[in-house]
Amino acid sequence: MTRVLIVDDSPTIRRMVKVSLGLLPAPTDFIEAASGLEAIERLAIGPVDLIVLDLNMPDLHGLEVLGFVRSHERYRSLPVIVLTTRGDDSSRQAALQGGASAYLTKPFTPAVLAAEVSRLLGSTASPGAAK
Amino acid sequence: MTDFLEGFLDDYFAECDEHLTTIRRGLLALEGSVGRQRPDPVVTEELFRAFHSIKGIAGMVEHRESEQLSHEMESYLRAIREGDARLTTPGIEALIEGARSLEHAIAARRQGDTPPDTSRAVTLLRGLLSESTPAGTVHDTAPAGATPSAQWQCVFTPSPALVSRGVTVDLIRTRLRESGEIINASPIIAADGSVAFRFIFAGALDQATVDAWAADGMTCTALQSDDTDKPIAPSPDLVQAAPGATLSTGHYVRVDLARLDELMRMIGDLVILRVRLTDSITRVEPFVPPADRRVIQEHLIAVERQLRDLREGVMRVRLVRVGEIFRRMPFVVRDLARDTGRKVRVVLTGQDTEIDKFLVERMMDPVLHLVRNAVSHGIESLDERIAAGKPPEGTISLSASASGDIVTLEIADDGCGVDTERILARAAQVGLPVPPNPDEAVLLDLISSPGFSTRDDSDRASGRGFGMAIVRTTVQELGGTIRMTSTPGQGTRFSIDLPLTLAITDALIARVGTHTFAMPQTSVREVIEVDAAAVRAIEGGEVTPYRGGALPVVRLSRILNVPVSAMDRLHAFIVGTGAATTGLLVDRILGQREIVVRSIADPLIRVDGVSGATDLGDGRAVLILDAAAIVRRARVRGTGALPAVKEIA
Repeated sequence: MTRVLIVDDSPTIRRMVKVSLGLLPAPTDFIEAASGLEAIERLAIGPVDLIVLDLNMPDLHGLEVLGFVRSHERYRSLPVIVLTTRGDDSSRQAALQGGASAYLTKPFTPAVLAAEVSRLLGSTASPGAAK
Repeated sequence: MTDFLEGFLDDYFAECDEHLTTIRRGLLALEGSVGRQRPDPVVTEELFRAFHSIKGIAGMVEHRESEQLSHEMESYLRAIREGDARLTTPGIEALIEGARSLEHAIAARRQGDTPPDTSRAVTLLRGLLSESTPAGTVHDTAPAGATPSAQWQCVFTPSPALVSRGVTVDLIRTRLRESGEIINASPIIAADGSVAFRFIFAGALDQATVDAWAADGMTCTALQSDDTDKPIAPSPDLVQAAPGATLSTGHYVRVDLARLDELMRMIGDLVILRVRLTDSITRVEPFVPPADRRVIQEHLIAVERQLRDLREGVMRVRLVRVGEIFRRMPFVVRDLARDTGRKVRVVLTGQDTEIDKFLVERMMDPVLHLVRNAVSHGIESLDERIAAGKPPEGTISLSASASGDIVTLEIADDGCGVDTERILARAAQVGLPVPPNPDEAVLLDLISSPGFSTRDDSDRASGRGFGMAIVRTTVQELGGTIRMTSTPGQGTRFSIDLPLTLAITDALIARVGTHTFAMPQTSVREVIEVDAAAVRAIEGGEVTPYRGGALPVVRLSRILNVPVSAMDRLHAFIVGTGAATTGLLVDRILGQREIVVRSIADPLIRVDGVSGATDLGDGRAVLILDAAAIVRRARVRGTGALPAVKEIA
């Protein structure tokens, strides 16, 4: 079971990510967090295989969450996909420098997100990108 | 639009509703900081985030107008936050205009209408950024007079055991916010590699609290004055951690109203079942030994009490703050006042009063109408006000209060009061019967009659095809009543009483001939005994002595078309107020019951005067009467209006 932590303060976006990753061939378990601090808590108390991370959130900014994840030995190589609202070009640079494994903007294409997750998890099976 | 996106539209609308609420509140708060070096950072941030969120989801569901508008507003707010722009009066106006366009665009999408033209708002907003001047590099310092309170360092280490008990970082943050101000919150890594959260916190903590929190994986230590002298470098996101900035999402669930309706319906069924059970037990009681009888009775009473608690519990879940109705009103007033060249301020009180969600939705338009009315028909023009020696700025007060099962909404203005002459002239013109010496209840009745409007097209701001008739109908459909009081030169006040919730209500059960019916207790002011011989015919109606005067009465037997009873002592339900006060005559009152209201949806059997049906436990349907509609019907039936209490007295 692959465990994906979805971090976004919008419940709608979290659900969209879940439905998108439903396209993955491997069974996936979703863990949700609505804020940066909550995300780190979820990470601390249970195993996570990949994070889909929004940048602009209450309390801790996504970049700070990313910084924390990368500074901890245990999570250093954890794949993190930054999924943020488009229009802020400086954040792409900052996210990639901060150690993001991939950078996608909203609106995102479900198949593209699923493919990115698949790639990062080293899944050999291709996602159902036909849809 | 793809099926994928189609499936998220409802989520989108629901989330937008929440953000729009934040936006309305935020913009009103921001209006007060126009021209300041830097407006309230908490509010600015909250607004920025709300627009940012809408933009994100709007992009996903391909709602371009919404995405573009929220993008422009987000950009302006970001510039303000960063100190690259100053909040100006045109700026706040553009934001308000933008928010309104956004609201319209979302509503249009929701209803499948053609998208409104948002280009004006977009142009206005874009103009702001091109011409804005930086606010300068001076940073606002802490507000004067704020005394630094003791600072603490609280470290919380989360664990699966704590989370399973509901102790999450969210809860910790909420607790801290309730006791003071969080200055900084950051994740830390302990020596053993475990993750914890460190909060730097300013506030008062006593030892008992510190001890209690220790049981929840939190250690709090007071920072020495040396430490407090050291400035704790705030991260740029600190504003977001300020108290009350955002509600943590962790403690709330969003529930479809239909599910609560279903729950309420099931409780209704239980209430009926309970009544049936009581009836059956009463029948078998003679065959049960007295000792057992008592036990059964006790259990029955316990069931009844718990049912009531259950019902109240579900009802409370459905309650939302009346503030939801009021929040839009300042915007409406603002616009209308500007368009009509008046100055009006809005005073809101009792916004925390709670009311059923369904009622909030239904009451939105009626309240909106009354508020528009107050601006365009109530408040005078600037010149008129000055000439009358009144403050140039008019006041509209919206208030809400609760007492028992009734919620009262009041919409009052300090304008010119209703123009009786004009109303009577118009009534005569459209052929409405007018009694001599009409009081406020009669005037309200007249202006609420379909087809009544005293203004011409040029002044239809308050109309929009939605008149007082609809206001009254809506209130009555919801089981409420509306009253008007007006003093020439001083203003008009509308008071609307509504039941706290629908579905289950207390009612008086009465008999007329062989028929049993229910009358909601909220519509009955008083119950009196009437001597049948004392009822006498007058001017096409009937009256009975009442409090030294005469009270118009209506025989329900006539309204319901059942044989007139031959009893010499009758009862009357006193309903209505002012000159509309009427006694509804019934044969016998059987008692007071909790009834489950079932609405009658079939238009073929819907009758004016019957608001629904209920089941008293014996399986037969009993009609629930609508007192206001019956009085209205009786007035129409009689030749001319019924005589009023005053003139006979």
